[in-house]
Amino acid sequence: MLPVLNGQLGLLVLIVWAWSPALSGAQSVHSQLEGMWSNPPATAIGALCGFYCTDAGIDRLNALMDDPANDARPFPQLQAQASAYQLENYIRPHLTDAALKTYPLDPADDPGLLRCEPWGLVRQMVAPHQLEIRRRGNDRIELHYGEWDARRTVYMDGRKRPANSAPSRLGFSVGRWEGETLVVETSGVAKNQTGWRSEHSDQLRVVERFARSAKGDTLLLTATIEDPWGLREPIVIKKIWAWAPRSEIAPYKNCEPVTAVKRGTNQP
Amino acid sequence: MTFARRWLFAVAALLLAARTAAPHHSFSAVYDDKKTIDVTGVVTQFRFVNPHALLSMDVADETGKVVKWTVEFAGRLNLSEVGWTAESIKSGERVTVTGNPAHTIPSRIAFRKLVRPDGTVLLPAGPQRLDAIEEERRERARQRSLQK
Repeated sequence: MLPVLNGQLGLLVLIVWAWSPALSGAQSVHSQLEGMWSNPPATAIGALCGFYCTDAGIDRLNALMDDPANDARPFPQLQAQASAYQLENYIRPHLTDAALKTYPLDPADDPGLLRCEPWGLVRQMVAPHQLEIRRRGNDRIELHYGEWDARRTVYMDGRKRPANSAPSRLGFSVGRWEGETLVVETSGVAKNQTGWRSEHSDQLRVVERFARSAKGDTLLLTATIEDPWGLREPIVIKKIWAWAPRSEIAPYKNCEPVTAVKRGTNQP
Repeated sequence: MTFARRWLFAVAALLLAARTAAPHHSFSAVYDDKKTIDVTGVVTQFRFVNPHALLSMDVADETGKVVKWTVEFAGRLNLSEVGWTAESIKSGERVTVTGNPAHTIPSRIAFRKLVRPDGTVLLPAGPQRLDAIEEERRERARQRSLQK
């Protein structure tokens, strides 16, 4: 039923009332992603995609689990096999000769380990633990990660990356909604390491698509990564978080550099 | 389940825990995940912090000399997931810690299991998550056999 109206105030209320379904609809779409997400669900695919995964790795893991010959093998063996498969058959063939010169990077050279240097975008965006998504005002969204307590700002007002801005660790991100999917485009990322032990250049561009599952209990990231220096063609990686409204991001103030390391282990 | 298979799964669970224990840096560059050792001593401090919780303990060597050991745990979240708090381990407690030794630091290990004198055991989140995944696999195998 329409409200009873008088004068200009009534007209204003009427306009707001008439628009309210559209406004509340838009609001509910946006709020579908807002909140705290954390470690992936305790499922086989969740375990594989706890850091990053690819369709090649997911297909391989499903094939391994569908083979009765593997029923007696412990899951970590299958997970390790699927991880190695996606690295060798998907990631590595995409690397350019320039990137292959230093691939695979020795874990003992990780600046996060040696100097407590927070990760660059490509590792951070698939970091383990929490991802908190919050609107900040009407024009931006904040992505807050448990790992390194890192924060990214995503500008939602259509602005462009400022000309002449220097590349930074996490780059400059702009976003938009495509239906219920948050699409974030990032450029201006300084040269750094990826999560698969290769290097990338400052020509990197990443398009992240965040979508909530139909059941609502998981968040799926699909990220397309381009880097003319390091990749022959774009690669697509995925990651899963589980809804975790009670999880809290704790201060990240006690990182201690580890310099007593062993080189050449060639393991994650 | 045979004893051998149980043992295999137990080892696998510990390895999974090893992979999840040190997410912010490489595990293999610091710790030897092919070896585990037991260390018994008295807790002097437990810091429930990020990126890794840390336990300090006094351990008497074979000659009776007390050596300071450091135990590195997963980050707070992994431990919180299975109910750990800053009060989970108290100074003065005598505990036995099982873990992977560091490659180059003789008195540092990565946590796998802690046992108190009364038999209470503290474990990381990895093995519990693995139980759920193995149940998923058993269900998958059941469905597969029904489709035949």
